[in-house]
Amino acid sequence: MFRIALKGILGRKARLILTSLAVILGTSFLAGTSVFSDTLNRTFDNLFSDVFKNVDAYVRSTQVIEADFGLEERQRITSDLVAIVEKMPGVRDASPDIQAFARIIGKDGKPLGSDGQGPPTFGSIGEEFAGALWDTAEGKWPVGPNEVAIDEASAKAGKYVIGDSVKVVAQSGSRTFTLVGIASYGDVRSPGGATFALFDSITAAEFLTKPGYIDAILISGDGSVSDTKLSAAIQAALPATAKTETLTGAEITAETQDQIGSALDFFGILLQTFSFIALGVGCFVIYNVFSISAAQRQRENALLRAIGASRKQITRAMLIEAIVVGLVGSIVGVVAGIGLSSGLSALLRALNIDIPSSGLVVSQNTVTSTIFIGLIVTVLSAILPARRAGKVPPLAAMRATALEIAEPGRKRLYVGLGSIALGLAIIVAVVVGASNTYLGLGILFVFIGTIVLGPIISRPVALFLGRPAARFRGITGAMARQNSARNPKRTSRTASPVLIGVALVTAVTALAASIKGQIDDVFTVQFKGDYAVTTDNQFTGGLSPSLALDLNNLPEVEKASGIGLITVKLNDKGQYFTTIDPRTVEGVFDIGLINAKYSDLTTNSIFLSESYSIRKKIPMGSEVKITLGDATQRKLTVRGLYEFDELAGNFVVNRAMIAKSLVNNFDIGVYIVAKKGLPDEEVRGTLEKAVKKYGQGTLLSKSEYINKQSGQVNQLLGLIYGLLMLSIVIAFVGIIITLLLSVFERQRELGLLRAVGMTRSQVRTTVRWESVITSLLGAVLGIILGIGLGWVIVFALKDQGLTSFKLPIIPTIFIMIMSFIVGLFAAIYPAWRATRVNILDALNTN
Amino acid sequence: MTPQTTTIAASAISVTKEYGSGEDKVFALRDVSVDFYEGQFTAIMGPSGSGKSTLMHCIAGLDELSSGSAIIDGTDLSSLKDKELTELRREKIGFVFQSFNLVPTLTANENIRLPLMLGNNKGDEEWIQKVIDTVHLQDRLTHRPSELSGGQQQRVAVARALASQPHIIFADEPTGNLDSITGAEILTFMRKAVDDLGQTIVMVTHDPVAAAYADRIIFLADGHIVNEMTEPTADRVLDLMKSIGH
Repeated sequence: MFRIALKGILGRKARLILTSLAVILGTSFLAGTSVFSDTLNRTFDNLFSDVFKNVDAYVRSTQVIEADFGLEERQRITSDLVAIVEKMPGVRDASPDIQAFARIIGKDGKPLGSDGQGPPTFGSIGEEFAGALWDTAEGKWPVGPNEVAIDEASAKAGKYVIGDSVKVVAQSGSRTFTLVGIASYGDVRSPGGATFALFDSITAAEFLTKPGYIDAILISGDGSVSDTKLSAAIQAALPATAKTETLTGAEITAETQDQIGSALDFFGILLQTFSFIALGVGCFVIYNVFSISAAQRQRENALLRAIGASRKQITRAMLIEAIVVGLVGSIVGVVAGIGLSSGLSALLRALNIDIPSSGLVVSQNTVTSTIFIGLIVTVLSAILPARRAGKVPPLAAMRATALEIAEPGRKRLYVGLGSIALGLAIIVAVVVGASNTYLGLGILFVFIGTIVLGPIISRPVALFLGRPAARFRGITGAMARQNSARNPKRTSRTASPVLIGVALVTAVTALAASIKGQIDDVFTVQFKGDYAVTTDNQFTGGLSPSLALDLNNLPEVEKASGIGLITVKLNDKGQYFTTIDPRTVEGVFDIGLINAKYSDLTTNSIFLSESYSIRKKIPMGSEVKITLGDATQRKLTVRGLYEFDELAGNFVVNRAMIAKSLVNNFDIGVYIVAKKGLPDEEVRGTLEKAVKKYGQGTLLSKSEYINKQSGQVNQLLGLIYGLLMLSIVIAFVGIIITLLLSVFERQRELGLLRAVGMTRSQVRTTVRWESVITSLLGAVLGIILGIGLGWVIVFALKDQGLTSFKLPIIPTIFIMIMSFIVGLFAAIYPAWRATRVNILDALNTN
Repeated sequence: MTPQTTTIAASAISVTKEYGSGEDKVFALRDVSVDFYEGQFTAIMGPSGSGKSTLMHCIAGLDELSSGSAIIDGTDLSSLKDKELTELRREKIGFVFQSFNLVPTLTANENIRLPLMLGNNKGDEEWIQKVIDTVHLQDRLTHRPSELSGGQQQRVAVARALASQPHIIFADEPTGNLDSITGAEILTFMRKAVDDLGQTIVMVTHDPVAAAYADRIIFLADGHIVNEMTEPTADRVLDLMKSIGH
């Protein structure tokens, strides 16, 4: 039987290739994303072990505020500690380290570095030091208040050469320096795409942070004592009041690697999730191909049964075929996946994210797990068809046609409806009040139910969808319509991958539309200005606070007010506080104050959102103790509550509170109300000029600003669409494979049609419309499910502040059109094959 | 019965069909020339491998010739491109095959009108009704092929072949898969189509009883025409077949 199975496989190479294709696609995405994640991880691991190669000890503050998104704000230490460390025995060299916000302005006046959520822009120290992170690739290290060195990538991007004047923006404002050096980081031009401006330590402290303060001390030992002993000795020598901790080189390396690693892990999990979805979609295709193949071989199998093969042997032969297909497909998939991941790396490089070329990391784990998963998935997908193949009665060998028995059973109806009912019941329970965690289960049951019902609903729905084709395309359209409904099981199995893909795309689109709609609503109500100045650096820096003051002095400006964001420790937990200027904020930014005036917000006061105040039982007049980023503590009295917490968050404080502290003081936006009655261009021109002076920040009109806010959702949407493309591609290939097999199966019919006068173009039309109907079948069901899914997700996010569900009407129409086009394209090759059917061969086949 | 007219409906002129090349070359037809007359029922007979089906396929534009020409209604088929040839088959030729004659997804009515519909042609409704009446299919029109018996399926096929009032009808063993009674029924319909409706039919068969329904029989062996008979009876056909060593 094994030999028969092998012969069966080799005898049908075309089918082997088709079946393997689905396996190859599924596993290649899996392998590709896994290789890519591993490569990225290894790259950053190498980078940081290189970077701290010569650092034997690392001194930093113990004071840290950890906030959401894994961000932390660590307090600075005083620079006089360097002198203490330098004199210690066992220390060869000690160097201060600063890493703060700085943005290099290009020759065209535009800041360097990518916008949005791109890599950060830093200012740091560039000095001769035995354990230095940076090397000079060209020129020398900067000395004195007028010199700067920048990283190689930025020099290239900004076309800067040594001797040029370079404008840099930092917390203290903007300043122009002379470029004296171009630096490289380890062996890359710039670490992870970040931009760096480097100064001597005194200038760095004064320009980037506060004079006399640094982030850390890097120590290079002379090798006389171990790193552990050296670190302990340093820690012991530093005054306790300095609140420092000393790490060994190995510890700081591991910590940095971990931090990057967990960020990369998230990315890797995202990639893996979507490749598993794609693989799941691939299962349908594999299952479908094996089912069709079993149906087409019915007579052959019946003959084997008639001459004495047992059921088991027939089933086993088919499973052997599945093993071969799974193995071959997975191996090819791994190879294709490696190619795919190098494509991804090239893509990143094209986006100017320079990752060192340490080569792709193809771990043994990736190879074995991909092949294993591919094999298991293929064999599992083939089990049902194989069992069905074994059940063929020997008498079927005598039957004239080998059509799949297409009558869906009652059991299917009950199971499908039951599953949907159960799923809906769970969702209703959640809506009524059960925990959100059950939502996923509810959705899963609805999906399963729909797919189980597929063969029952696909016939009527396909016939309905095919009506226009039958009406406007005459007999060819009518035949396409009938063909798409003639084998409901097959049609629904072909449409299922489309259904899943479209449902996910629709759900994500609906979610995005709802978020965007909400953003629009929120900004329309709360942002009262005519213009806004924004920056993309919301966490690592921002607009200088003096910009708002400057703008206020312009005659064209009625009022301008800056809004900032600081990290604060409250009840031992990091929180984001919004800083406002109570003198100017009124009529510019509306937080919906209840029973309070903005002038109530003194430097000893705080406004809380109404919901937070109620939730945490902190009423008006109570006292709140906080710790600022510089470790100083404040007592603030709650002087007001407000309603709109979407933009302001739960806490609003007076910006004057941090004016004299060590806390980074930036605005993330300046909102502007223009004087009435002035021409728009005039106001805009003046504002533009004022903003340009700072070299940073983008001036936007009200509508541009609101669009930009909701536009950020598009970035994320784009990423998810890209990942879902994997599933769509597999669904697309699934349609092609099924059509090809159907065309093969209907050879005689095609021959007959050609004989009685169907032209080749009419044959193509028939196949094309069948494909379109199948694709639309999946799309229509997918859109219905997707909208439901989107609604459920929006509902689940109610607590995160998402309140209204918006139906994405235009995107939905677009998805329908795309599905139509996918159907057209999928039909191209099968339709061509159909026109190549030899009439006489087809008619003579018995 | 002698032909009422000598107008030629279709003809083969020095038709040769060969397969393979060199030593393996096999001739299916060698220099065959024959005319088929309008309003006549012609049968082509011969043992298996004699080339009778190949001859029919070549004249009907289903197969390409190695040399010679096939002419339908004055048109040389070798001069036509695939599209023109397809349209000629649709408009001027009717087909009845041995089995698998019908499209399973279409009703009997749709199958009958299939060539007309493919050509976006409504056809002559009065004629179509007459054809349906002749083959007794009035109450089977909405059925699909799987719901029809073998005989009914062949009747639908005959009706389809007649529906577009083609110039000539080719039937390839139309009764080969039927029992003798049903077969006789089909042959009677075909005879009626010639006598009452004035159609031209060329039928390939190896059955002397079926051939006896024809006006004229052409005998083929080894790719040659070896004999011809008019006004045949089954007995005469059998005798002749014995004499040529069938």
